[in-house]
Amino acid sequence: MTSGQAPRHHWPLRQVFPATALVLLLVCLASLMLGAGDLSPQAALQALFGQSSDEANFIVRELRLPRTLIGFLVGAMLGCAGALMQTLARNPLAEPGLLGVSAGSSFAVTLALMLGASAATLTVHVAQLGALAGCLLVLSAARIQGVGNDPVRLVLAGATLTGLLLSLIWLLLMFDQRSADEIRFWITGSVAGRSLDMALQLMPSLGLAFILTLIIIRPLASLALGERAAQGLGHHPGRIRFIAVVIVALLVGSATAVAGPIIFVGLVVPFIARALAGPDIRRTLWLCLTLGPIIVISADTLSRLLVAPAELPLGVLTALIGAPVLLMVVRSRRLPTL
Amino acid sequence: MDAARPLDQSQPLHRPPAGFWLWRSSGTSNGTSDGTRPGYSLLIPKRAVIINSLLILLLLIVVTLSLGSGSVSLSPAEVWQALWHQGPAINQLVVNELRLQRVLAGLTTGAAFALSGCLMQTLSRNRLATPGIIGIDNSATAFAVASVTGTGLSLAPSSMALAGAATACALAFGLTGASGRGGYRFIVAGIGIGAIAGAMTQFMLSRVAIDDANAAFPWTVGSLNARSPEATAALAACLPLALALSLRMTRALQLMQVSDAVSIGLGINLKQVRRNGLILSVLLTGLAVAVAGPVGLVALLGPEVARGLYRHKGVPLVASALCGALIMLAADLTGRLILAPLEIPVGIVTAVVGSPYLLWMLLNPSFKNTP
Repeated sequence: MTSGQAPRHHWPLRQVFPATALVLLLVCLASLMLGAGDLSPQAALQALFGQSSDEANFIVRELRLPRTLIGFLVGAMLGCAGALMQTLARNPLAEPGLLGVSAGSSFAVTLALMLGASAATLTVHVAQLGALAGCLLVLSAARIQGVGNDPVRLVLAGATLTGLLLSLIWLLLMFDQRSADEIRFWITGSVAGRSLDMALQLMPSLGLAFILTLIIIRPLASLALGERAAQGLGHHPGRIRFIAVVIVALLVGSATAVAGPIIFVGLVVPFIARALAGPDIRRTLWLCLTLGPIIVISADTLSRLLVAPAELPLGVLTALIGAPVLLMVVRSRRLPTL
Repeated sequence: MDAARPLDQSQPLHRPPAGFWLWRSSGTSNGTSDGTRPGYSLLIPKRAVIINSLLILLLLIVVTLSLGSGSVSLSPAEVWQALWHQGPAINQLVVNELRLQRVLAGLTTGAAFALSGCLMQTLSRNRLATPGIIGIDNSATAFAVASVTGTGLSLAPSSMALAGAATACALAFGLTGASGRGGYRFIVAGIGIGAIAGAMTQFMLSRVAIDDANAAFPWTVGSLNARSPEATAALAACLPLALALSLRMTRALQLMQVSDAVSIGLGINLKQVRRNGLILSVLLTGLAVAVAGPVGLVALLGPEVARGLYRHKGVPLVASALCGALIMLAADLTGRLILAPLEIPVGIVTAVVGSPYLLWMLLNPSFKNTP
């Protein structure tokens, strides 16, 4: 990761990726089989193939399956967005939630709700626009001399921006009790009770993000070597950066629109991915696709089990998982730069 | 390790003092065990006297305004009459029974936050290391909310908030393994702790009935509306004591700004000063959070303004406390008036005003983090 360290052993992707995919499969099954409902795991498994009572079928296919699928999408999106953003800012602490990108899209959604939009239609694109604004703001701040070299200062600036936007959100909500009630639970972050229609709405943006990622992934990896090296290889750093920002905004905006602001996933997932597969973004992104859903779905399953029959908000659980990782990154003898 | 300041900056320490000797006694060599008794002296710099009297004057004006404005508008003269138990009974009721409590809560919490911020900034030699930023506020809130929503603990919010503040501080120090010198690392650890505490607060609020959550909400963003009389009394009792104790440390704190080596050479017990200062800071923050919730930015803004007024290198403890009280009251007044009859919690007002300033501080390329 850093030049000063002894070379670390990384596993080749073709061994790690299937392994994580297997774990993901197990986690998905666990998410489908476990829950507050009065349903044994065997019955849940049968219900998955439509061979059980109507009630079991309903619980598994209408409640748990969408939840797991949305958790899968949200995890993959946030994980990849985190990896991209960390490469962009060359900062292992650059996480969309910490840096105020999620708060930007929350703010945009609140504003849209206040101006009379209905929660069902507008939110995805509004949230993406808000995320884009937040992203541009933070990354332009990162390019200020002195701030960009200091990973922690950028994080602090992001935390301040998040605090400011949250205050503005509460301020807006004070005018409008209706929106306040709609938003109160959305803002803690959750994948429960979301319909699959919502996931379908995301597909165009996800497809676009996927294609754009395929286009810029090689230039982005060369950008990690430095601006000069990337230029020497015939790439345009400014253009690459802008496209990457758009991808991050698409991903974070979509995830926020569906699940509310969930922080720390974008920090934890790339952190583990780098530890497994090394710093190359071309490899870590693949791992983020499996590790992100693993984290989100298992956090969601835990949130159902820990205080059953009540539920912990997902955002709370990811904060509980993520903050120790943040501390770990900070505690490491010297902050690694990307 | 920090390098000692260049000599020319420490020159003012050795110039003949421009100020008033409040008390001066030279050392004598009478028959005590070690033969000598050190001399004591207390010097009040002239600039400090002028600035502090100006601040007190401003504070009186804001207090009068704050007591006079609301759904019943009173002129300053009427307010003062009512304060001395003269004038119409209705005015006396409004001022003494309804508004005075709130203004006193604002004064004490503002002063406590700012004083604690100034202490912590000086001890850690980092302008950004205020209790709000390193997560102490959030933890105190989480613990206090836990006691309010009654998760099996029936302690008073004040003591719970104190426990929360102490826990967060111990965690931040324990995790960074330093006595506040870890710099940014310490602060990021604090952000992590604050995030956990914030998540816990939200979790607890999402489990209680919606009416309780609504009632607790202003307090979780910082408001003078939901203060409890016991918590205010506890803070009012501790604040003068804490101020006196921290004033006793002024000399040591000022020397610590120069360098550790100089301080040790001049006979200052660094460990003791750091420990005591930290205890005072945590105590003040915990008690203030119990009254007004996490209005952490006052702890950043108060000392900043005071330092701007002082200009020279010093530890403006009294001026910080006064500025903090001033900011708190002004923010509360603004929040009450700007959208009346709606009331904006004071925490939101300070966040909207203070965050841009903090951002500017952080993004300023020539930013220096030592106070």
